[in-house]
Amino acid sequence: MGKGHPKANERLDDLQPYRGSSNFAARFFILVSLAQGPGENWSHIKQYVLKDAVMQSAWLALLTGLFTTGLGVGLAWLTAAYDFPLSRLFRWAFALPLAIPPYIAAYTYSAMLGYTGVVQTTLRNTFGLQLSQGWFNIMSVQGAVFIFTMFLFPYVYLIARAFLESQTGAYVENARLLGRGPWSVFWLVVLPISRPAIAGGVILVCFEVLGDYGVVSYFGISTISTAIFKTWFGMYDIASASRLAAWLMIGVLGLFLLERQLRRQRRYSATSGKSRPLVRRRLRGAGGAAACMFGAVVMLVSFVIPVAQLVVWATWTADEVWHEGFYRIIGDTVAVAIVPTALTMVAAAIVAVSVRQFGGIFGYMLAKAVTAGYSIPGAIIAIGVLAVFIKLDGWLAPVYAALSLGTGEAPLVLSLSIVMLVAAYVVRFMATGYNALEAGFEKIGPQYAEASRLLGRGRTQTFLRVELPLLKGALLSGTVLTFVEIVKELPLALLLRPFNFQTLATKTYQYASDERIHEASVPALCIVVVSLASVYLLNRIERGMEV
Amino acid sequence: MKVVEMHRVSFTYAGSSDLILQDVSLDVGQGEIVGLLGPSGSGKSTLLRLIAGLEAPTAGRIAVCGKTVADRTTFVPPESRGIGMVFQDYALFPHMTVARNIEFGLHRIPRGERKQRVRQMLELVQLPEYGSRYPHELSGGQQQRVALARALAPKPSLLLMDEPFSNLDAALKADIRRELRDILRRAEMACLFVTHDREDVEAICDRSITIDAKVLV
Repeated sequence: MGKGHPKANERLDDLQPYRGSSNFAARFFILVSLAQGPGENWSHIKQYVLKDAVMQSAWLALLTGLFTTGLGVGLAWLTAAYDFPLSRLFRWAFALPLAIPPYIAAYTYSAMLGYTGVVQTTLRNTFGLQLSQGWFNIMSVQGAVFIFTMFLFPYVYLIARAFLESQTGAYVENARLLGRGPWSVFWLVVLPISRPAIAGGVILVCFEVLGDYGVVSYFGISTISTAIFKTWFGMYDIASASRLAAWLMIGVLGLFLLERQLRRQRRYSATSGKSRPLVRRRLRGAGGAAACMFGAVVMLVSFVIPVAQLVVWATWTADEVWHEGFYRIIGDTVAVAIVPTALTMVAAAIVAVSVRQFGGIFGYMLAKAVTAGYSIPGAIIAIGVLAVFIKLDGWLAPVYAALSLGTGEAPLVLSLSIVMLVAAYVVRFMATGYNALEAGFEKIGPQYAEASRLLGRGRTQTFLRVELPLLKGALLSGTVLTFVEIVKELPLALLLRPFNFQTLATKTYQYASDERIHEASVPALCIVVVSLASVYLLNRIERGMEV
Repeated sequence: MKVVEMHRVSFTYAGSSDLILQDVSLDVGQGEIVGLLGPSGSGKSTLLRLIAGLEAPTAGRIAVCGKTVADRTTFVPPESRGIGMVFQDYALFPHMTVARNIEFGLHRIPRGERKQRVRQMLELVQLPEYGSRYPHELSGGQQQRVALARALAPKPSLLLMDEPFSNLDAALKADIRRELRDILRRAEMACLFVTHDREDVEAICDRSITIDAKVLV
């Protein structure tokens, strides 16, 4: 497995098991391996895979964390504190890269930079330049960090900008009045004050990186997530996969602790009740031009170029890809996203109300428990959900026998069905729906509910008649955000989908791993278009507007 | 009979060791208007929230109209205490008209009588034409009167007011104070209200209680 050199044939070998009915077969083997106890592959994995995988995962998370902090906070400060040409456009456009899931960006960039891609052919045919292939090799750790940084930095940017605009006005003005220049204002005042907000965004990015499967597997980088996939589908060894998952959980927990540490002093952002908004300064001349250029380059690389390339490819292949089967994929994707979205929102509402009711430690634990799913990589959730459903099928075996469902002594009904994927989505994206609702609750505050209680209405009546109407916007945005997250999601869909079931994301992945990048552009563009809805909403939410 | 009796009530927020109130005892008689004075942070608002049932005391006993609503073993939820409250920022439901706001607490009286009661309340606070307006279309003083009408509509045994005049400008304050006193007298309503302004007390109250450093003086 080596250090993850991106050899195409090795990649294809890795991907082989996902083809055909192996997904189906895997579940049976998993059942067997659970019965067998610790997998015999573990010593092999421990000796040859584990160290590399841990190191690569750690490097990816660390480097991406550093670069997204730099880019995200830099752009946030630039747009929050200064007016320069096109800055109004950039202010919301910097959220657009979120519409492109990193795995789609990875296929797009590697194909564009490949020997037959637009970059090299243009250089060869127009300029007669034949450069070494090494110059264009994006399929490396550095390349993955580049992709993650360019397409995940908006998480940091959005949080940081919202914080800078709303919270730092008074401090920045005072620092200026005390005679500090722009650089020292940024380093001595802005960065320390906004550290808790930035930490939240960066940790989110790191969770995304650790959980990623699409980018690293395509680039042939061996991380813990890809190792879990390989042991699961390559060796059918769920016990070893679970052990790898435990290693990944250690990383996730480490990040949790780090975030707590970085957020500890968040108190000092709340000393003065209401802070004045930041007043922007005008950047003129060279400064303005440089800021505008920088913004334009970021926008081109992280949104305009990949989307333009996808559109071009789509025009080549749309006729071939866009047939009846494709409508079915769209239908399946929508259906398998709507059901968990609805479940998630109902559950999130119940939890949000209960957290308020119980309060204290119990409420805190409850809130933490439902939002934990977002930080847990898809591969781990998949293993957990699978284990639970195989247990469930065991318990339900008499019921199946009575209904004459399934075959054999231990029939697998639920764990071969779409129910399992739906359950996994609910676990993974509960946080998205819950956080949106929670933000809504925080905005309306407790006094309306208290007033309603004092006017003689019970909890349920209060929720239905007072809070729910006021939460309509939050509920709607939570629904859209959750729906989009599910449509974009790849690892869970790959691991848990029933036989012959395709979503837009898995179809994109399948085309790409078959080296049919041009065909992949059609489902990829569908995902990008759907995702634009959530980018629009995120922009509005971060700006604290009525949604 | 006393409308409210508090006996040696103490309060601490869950998970905190700061004592907000310590061994506080007070009572309010029928039709009495009592002002609760004290510097900010002295626990005045907490005291109101304890009587209303929005917080539970850590020690002591609270009784409303002779019935224990909170002690070591009892906790009557706010919706069953029959106490009205006007919040500092009024908390008028923004998605309901003025009339719907006032009607909100009238679900226990027969449907036919609700409209009439809403009309009575609007007349009481001298806003008879404002039933179909939304809260954001009203001035601060009007909002305050609607909040008062809403709290009085279900005929509570006691009205609690948390800094009712703090959001009003000085010119309006004198008028509203006089009006409030008249309205409370006409409704024969017992009222406990929190303020940090001695003038409020002198203008309205039958008597006042000062709270300082967590205990009554």
